[in-house]
Amino acid sequence: MSQATLFYLANLLVYGGVDAIACLGLSMQFGVAGVSNFGYIIFQAAGAYTAAVLSLPPDSANGGFQTYIGGLGLPFPIPWIGAALVGGLVALPFTLLVGRRLTGQVAAIGLLVTAVMANLLVNNFVPLFNGAAGLSVVPAPLHNLLNPQSQGYQWGYGAVAVLIAIAVYFFFRRLTESPYGRSLRAMRDNSPVANALGKDLLSLRTVTLVLGGMAAGLSGGILVGFITLWSPGAWGYAETIVLFAAVIIGGTGNHKGAILGAILVPLGFEEASRFLPAIGAPGLIAALQWVAIGILIVAFLWFRPQGIIPEQRRRIFAKARAGRSPSDPASPRPPRGSPPDRSGSGSGPALATAGVVVSFGGLRAVDGVAISLERSRLTGLIGPNGAGKSTLLSALAGTTPVSKGQILYQGKDITHEPAYRRARGGLVRTFQLASEFKRLTVIENLLSAVPGQRGDTFRGALRGRRFWGKEEALAIDQAEALMEKFGLIDHADTYAGNLSGGQRRLVEIMRALMARPQLLLLDEPMAGIHPTLARQIGRSLQELCAKGMTILLVEHELAFMDEFCDPVIVMAEGRILAQGTMTELRGQAEVVEAYLVG
Amino acid sequence: MLSFHRRPDSEPTVAGEARMRRPVLGRRLSVGAVALALAVSAAATSGAIALTAPASAASNLVIGDLAPFTGPDAALGGYYDASCLAATTAINKDGGVLGHQLTCQTFDTRGDPADAVPAANQMFATTPNLALVIGCTSDEAASVVPVINAKKMVAFCMTGQSQFDHVHYPYFFRLVPPDLAESYAMVAIAKYHKHYKKIALAFGNDIGSQTFVNPALAAIKKAGLKVASNVTLDLSANTFRTEAETVVQSHPDVILTEALGAADATFLSEVKQLNGGKMIPIIGTSATIDPSWFSSVGAAIGKSTLAKDYVADNLVVATSGPEFTPFNDAMKAVASKVTSDDSGSLETLLSGPGAVHLFDGMNLAALAMIMAKSTDPSVYKADILKIGDGVKGAVVVHSFAQGKAELAKGKAIRYVGPGGPTSFDSYHDSPGILQIDGYKANGAVTVDGSISTAQLRAVS
Amino acid sequence: MSLFIASIGFGIVTAAVLAIAAVGFTVQFGVTDVLNLAYASVMIACAYVAYLINQAGQSVWLALVVAAVAGSVISLVINKYIYAPFQRRGTSATAVVIVSLGILLIIEFTVQAIEGPANVSYTMSQGQTFVIGGLVLTTVQFIIIALSLAFMVALHLMLRYTRFGKAMRATAADRTLARNCGIRTDRVVTLACLITGALCGVAGTVFAINSGSFGATSADLFLVLILAAVFLGGPGQPYGAMLGALVIGLATEVSAVFITSDYKYVSAFVILLVVLAVRPRGLFSAGAIG
Repeated sequence: MSQATLFYLANLLVYGGVDAIACLGLSMQFGVAGVSNFGYIIFQAAGAYTAAVLSLPPDSANGGFQTYIGGLGLPFPIPWIGAALVGGLVALPFTLLVGRRLTGQVAAIGLLVTAVMANLLVNNFVPLFNGAAGLSVVPAPLHNLLNPQSQGYQWGYGAVAVLIAIAVYFFFRRLTESPYGRSLRAMRDNSPVANALGKDLLSLRTVTLVLGGMAAGLSGGILVGFITLWSPGAWGYAETIVLFAAVIIGGTGNHKGAILGAILVPLGFEEASRFLPAIGAPGLIAALQWVAIGILIVAFLWFRPQGIIPEQRRRIFAKARAGRSPSDPASPRPPRGSPPDRSGSGSGPALATAGVVVSFGGLRAVDGVAISLERSRLTGLIGPNGAGKSTLLSALAGTTPVSKGQILYQGKDITHEPAYRRARGGLVRTFQLASEFKRLTVIENLLSAVPGQRGDTFRGALRGRRFWGKEEALAIDQAEALMEKFGLIDHADTYAGNLSGGQRRLVEIMRALMARPQLLLLDEPMAGIHPTLARQIGRSLQELCAKGMTILLVEHELAFMDEFCDPVIVMAEGRILAQGTMTELRGQAEVVEAYLVG
Repeated sequence: MLSFHRRPDSEPTVAGEARMRRPVLGRRLSVGAVALALAVSAAATSGAIALTAPASAASNLVIGDLAPFTGPDAALGGYYDASCLAATTAINKDGGVLGHQLTCQTFDTRGDPADAVPAANQMFATTPNLALVIGCTSDEAASVVPVINAKKMVAFCMTGQSQFDHVHYPYFFRLVPPDLAESYAMVAIAKYHKHYKKIALAFGNDIGSQTFVNPALAAIKKAGLKVASNVTLDLSANTFRTEAETVVQSHPDVILTEALGAADATFLSEVKQLNGGKMIPIIGTSATIDPSWFSSVGAAIGKSTLAKDYVADNLVVATSGPEFTPFNDAMKAVASKVTSDDSGSLETLLSGPGAVHLFDGMNLAALAMIMAKSTDPSVYKADILKIGDGVKGAVVVHSFAQGKAELAKGKAIRYVGPGGPTSFDSYHDSPGILQIDGYKANGAVTVDGSISTAQLRAVS
Repeated sequence: MSLFIASIGFGIVTAAVLAIAAVGFTVQFGVTDVLNLAYASVMIACAYVAYLINQAGQSVWLALVVAAVAGSVISLVINKYIYAPFQRRGTSATAVVIVSLGILLIIEFTVQAIEGPANVSYTMSQGQTFVIGGLVLTTVQFIIIALSLAFMVALHLMLRYTRFGKAMRATAADRTLARNCGIRTDRVVTLACLITGALCGVAGTVFAINSGSFGATSADLFLVLILAAVFLGGPGQPYGAMLGALVIGLATEVSAVFITSDYKYVSAFVILLVVLAVRPRGLFSAGAIG
């Protein structure tokens, strides 16, 4: 093998490392947290420019053929560290775009526009980074000690890039496989539900963006040290498409897939096409290469949306079971460390509202509702379709903002508290529509709801399983008891998205219970559940109330109300019509007219 | 002062055996993806073959055309390839170099400095019989020249960037004027030849074009002329009406411009439109002497208008006589392969710097190989200087065939091709003598006058 | 001052082109629920079809009609055979956006592979230049503005007063509900694709006429302008897109006078980002189409 070939291979190693780091960052954002960051390339560019101006001498010192800010002439590895930090810092303002207000497609487009805009700005504002010409003759790391064009240096550089990529891989994996990572994946699968379970979406997205930004920034810093030049031509928004293609083809939600994608697409595919024989007009092959990337994206999303290496199903329960010593009695076991008594001290109602109005445009879905929920009671809420029951529940939980009125929870005004804070305070809801986290297993769904887990913070996650593992084991025991009770123990490690409709409702109820609520809002939990099981659940709920939990339950099945709920609130056209036991209600003509008969 | 020095004399390390591994593609792919995956792995496999069994065509020497084939400057790569085809065909017809035939191979930098580095490394890896590199435009020169230089490969580059006036790369050669000189030349044309007073500037926002702006502004000031307006054309934009109106309303006598891709075509047609259908005279850079520039601008404002209202600075190039004939014959011989339309591409090629100077560069390198009796760049590079600048008593030759014959007789030679006589400075730049060129309506390039050194000095 | 007035004229021309494109885009989005980023590449493909017709010696205005047909066909095919199957399978909206990016690459670079990297122009006359109170416009530009206004009015009449227009609005608001109300939503989607596809074809050709010179990748930045106009007005809102196109068109050209031309697109994007930050659903945020 010729020396030139070795040089080329060393070159591939560097690019492989750089692409892998960039893809890992994107995999964290897109694959794990579900943030579609079409402006991702900005972070890489920011890192590259930072590393360049940190290592370049002041611009007056190099012949005056380029102008730029900074020019600090700092030694390696400061430029790389700076690249990572600035990549992360640049991500901060992005949280405005994908934070609370903008989600999904709108955020994606906002980010795309930002990427194009940033490129135009840097291109046209010459004093910043020398405009279109970009920054050249950037000193390579350690250039004064080693010869950057030597074989050894190039392989060394490649080795360092690959080692960093591996380190980034383990870092992200540690995070992803922790309870914190579970929260990220829950947000990816269904963000409003994650929010209702106490996940602070803004904080989760910020951390994801910053971490991905740091990875991308670092990749840019490493790249610029190698090619010694960086210009707007190197970070057009097409580069982001290539990285997305890599993550999709390699496999999302799974960092091995990101690495494979980096090897296959930016590295393998773009490089492989260089070896195709030149046919047709000059540039034909290059154009066809882009066509092929387009075809690959579409084909993979159709034939293998999970990518070549799919996200691994995490068999938490099977592992936990296998990990128990044989002398330990097998399940069922009573939960160790029963949930802390959070029935709340003090007297007065668990929740009270005054004059709550929720309007959509001109329509008042909830129109001046005042209710009061007695502690430790299983209160029913009935009413005809469109009465505003679900909207009221949403307003109580904070999913839907209140237009007017006040909500007091345990005597505290929570009218303007975000949903996740209410959830953390013990006010937990379920949803009328299926809202399980589809690509989390049943037990993961349950575990995701456990409040205040040690591993469910960024720092806690980084401290590793040793830090949070014991607590998690307890939570698994609790989840096991619940699954046993609800008959889903055999599906513990099944994806929730693969269950039947009724089973999914159960998952949702169990998940809400795992959140250790003091006040539980259940929105038609029995829909699609076998009546026998429904009654069993009803009894369990009653038991929970007896232990101090307060429950508000929306249900159409009056028999269930008769048997379990007292009192029952009747709603119609956004207002409270009546309240009382079912027997009392049956005696009220207007209730019967509005609902029981009609 | 540059703080960054390359060490070109690195010790070669021992090359070990390594095998290119096929990409890890699972067999669990579903049907549709399998075909694509096969295409990818097939490509990788062919790469592996090229990497491990490169000696199949050992008797051929390769000239690598390392330039953009995609991106906004995509037209450049193909343009240089045409010149390469002409030069190599002529050389091969004459028996080649030291028993080797020459072939051209293209390497796409995508006009992106980050993509250019692997393109260059791949070129070296897969082309063991690479003898010369041409191309390397301003889009990628800054990132690939250090790589090419470290690999000890001679390159004739099409960049006017001024950092190459400051940093010494022993294997770097250029026969095109530095951007600075071109800026001065354009202003000199405006002042001394056309007697314009108010000058508008309209340059593209890419690397190659922006380098002209500041020197041109300084030269205009020095020359005592007025800047009427100065607009930057965003190459990705699709209209420039406000820019055009700004220029029109500033009532310039002339517009200095270089904006490649569709930009100049769009911009100039809008200027014409907004100026009541009357074109404002244009002075272009030598890069606007280019078949694709001519055809797109010609189509947009009319070829006869372009012929009437346009001049450009260009290096003195021969358009007749003994320097021109061999070049003309060589281009005509491959005309059917290098031009696809009747838009005057061939006529433009005959004066375009990309064709002329690279043609000269390739002839210089080929003759230097014969003189040095070696195809090793580190050996023959010194002879490029000798043949280009000429030594005392050297016979002046105008074609490869002539030069080869004289060398065979044991004579010293000086090559003077269509691009005129060369004189290399210590950075291997041959700044050349600038003149004024224009277009005929068929795309043929005309010489409209010459620019004296005194005139250049007066504005620089 | 006169430059300012002239730039308003140019802004209106830009807005006219942008409006045709943005309205087609936004209605397509409203009815199909696909944020079709491949739209810009379909525009260019249609502009090339028009170029071929024009090169064959036909008038560019005839070519425009052919391009409209081509746009309809391509849009329908893409939607019916690519986006709709993905949606039926339950692929997430964001993933479908990524699919559309793939389609964008496929179409754009297929055009480039066929046509090469060179730029082309239509053979046509820009007509007389008129100077009216500081506005400088050519006959062709007047035609473009008139064409754009005609399309806007026609679309308005269709949405408001025809059965099909109402069915389309209903489908955009809630496809399931519309189907339950007896609207044949599949047919509505098909027809909407044909109509918006035709708008896309017209937009591509008008874009190319307006540019004077174009190539396979010329519409890349224009796509971002379309998105800016669409999201400024609120996605799915045809009237919003019209307003958005006007704002973006004027902002780009007028800011080129006051700041410098380097930042004309930057200023348009800043407006969009500010609007997104204040009113995430755009200026016309209530309700669906109409």
